[in-house]
Amino acid sequence: MNCELAHERIVTAAYGELADEQTHELERHVDGCPECRKEREQLLALKVLADAYPVVEPEANLIARSRLRLEEALDALPPKRWFERLGQRLRNNFASLQAAPVAACLLVAMGVGAGSLGGYKVAENRAAHQMAAQAARIQAQPAAGSTAGVADPAEIANISSIVRQPNSHMVEVRYNQMVPQRIEGSLDDPAIRQLLMLASENSASAGVRDDSVGLMAAECRAGHSCQAQGIRDALMVALRYDKNAGVREKALEGLEPYVAQDVRVRDAVLEALMNDGDPHIRTAAINILEPVEADTSVRQVLHSVANTDQNPYIRTVSRQVLSRVPEIQ
Amino acid sequence: MDGRKSAEERMQARAPEMELIREAQAGSRAAFDALVRQYEQQVLRLALHLTGSEHDAEDIYQEAFLKAYRYLGNFRFECSFYTWIYRIVTNLCLDQLRRRKTRREDHAVVVNHSGEEMDVLASVSDDRSFSNPGKELDRKLLGERIQAALEKLTPRERMVFELKHYQGLRLRTIGEMLNTTEETAKNTLFRATKKLRTQLAGLR
Repeated sequence: MNCELAHERIVTAAYGELADEQTHELERHVDGCPECRKEREQLLALKVLADAYPVVEPEANLIARSRLRLEEALDALPPKRWFERLGQRLRNNFASLQAAPVAACLLVAMGVGAGSLGGYKVAENRAAHQMAAQAARIQAQPAAGSTAGVADPAEIANISSIVRQPNSHMVEVRYNQMVPQRIEGSLDDPAIRQLLMLASENSASAGVRDDSVGLMAAECRAGHSCQAQGIRDALMVALRYDKNAGVREKALEGLEPYVAQDVRVRDAVLEALMNDGDPHIRTAAINILEPVEADTSVRQVLHSVANTDQNPYIRTVSRQVLSRVPEIQ
Repeated sequence: MDGRKSAEERMQARAPEMELIREAQAGSRAAFDALVRQYEQQVLRLALHLTGSEHDAEDIYQEAFLKAYRYLGNFRFECSFYTWIYRIVTNLCLDQLRRRKTRREDHAVVVNHSGEEMDVLASVSDDRSFSNPGKELDRKLLGERIQAALEKLTPRERMVFELKHYQGLRLRTIGEMLNTTEETAKNTLFRATKKLRTQLAGLR
């Protein structure tokens, strides 16, 4: 062993990393070499000196500070990450995959032939933004000639089943919506419109109800087959019962074209004027009632509102409308 | 925070590390927090000694664990989590050391009467340490001299010496952490000790 190699091995040995047989060899060399003995002494001295700068345990303050800062940074991370991880958790979690058969079923629904179902997809729903489970029951059935009735829009929670009738393309789908679904279709399609009406009532998300009501309202304003039974009804229900003011407002807009011709619509709007909690909606109701300002029942309501409405602006506007139209005897 | 803390503690007591990691990978924040608690002291200890600054140590802590959080999905259990975390920390520390090095390199080098280069940092310290080597040196000053000597090493030499001498890791582990071989780590250690001895000569 030459001294150069010995010097290297001295370092390795000093840190306990020299193989046993090499250690023995080194010892023999060092015993006979004063130069290398000195080398070893100096290395050991270095080790001692180095410890004059000792490793200290971090203080509790430092740890706590650091941890807090980290937690804040983690909390502030963009929501997209949470969704990604939640998505990952859903993928990992088999139970939630029960919803996956639903997607398959909707595809099966596509297989229905010339009937009303066709190969379509329903309007995109915004359930992706909410993590709460929604339930809806949809029955896909052929249109004309079928004895089966219209789907009952009762709310179902947490049941997932698919019943496929044998030898036919008919499918009954009941699903828990935990996973965002995407379907597109034509607004003229009765089944689509049915779904929209269901969505207006059944969806737990104001956003979804808002969309469906908005779509139906747009149809009505455009005069696209806004029949009494069906979309018009759904809009009136939404106006009367929806908890979200934005949704109610859209419903009101959709009903506007029918105030004059449909007395039920007029009455629904009158009811909104009297009872709706939101002043914007009450104000909008007054404007919408313009074509029927002269009606007795309308004037009666306007009188009542002019006197008792909490909102002074609404009271004023009601009075203005009343004064504008001469009383019909 | 307290409720979450107890959840972490419970998790820590129950779950072996691998399970913790899997849960954290699946998105459990509590599991990740439990991992942080397992390693934070070591991370800080290393960063603190290496940088000599609480502020810098905190920064390294932050960056290291955020990185760990971001890339946790990439951890495939091919090495120990300990090595994985340390690899992140050492790389961050190396970056820090390199940044410092470029900032400090322009300190003047002075040549003394015999033509040898003098370490200016050394000449700033207490005269006692030069005129009376036998006298017991002020520990604090000595500590500073050591720090100064350590700073003269290259970032990698500094890192290897830190991990070997101060943190007591095996050369093989050091190699893994620095993404190199045990042999290379060994050679780096050797160079580091040689340089340090030159720096600290005359201080006995």
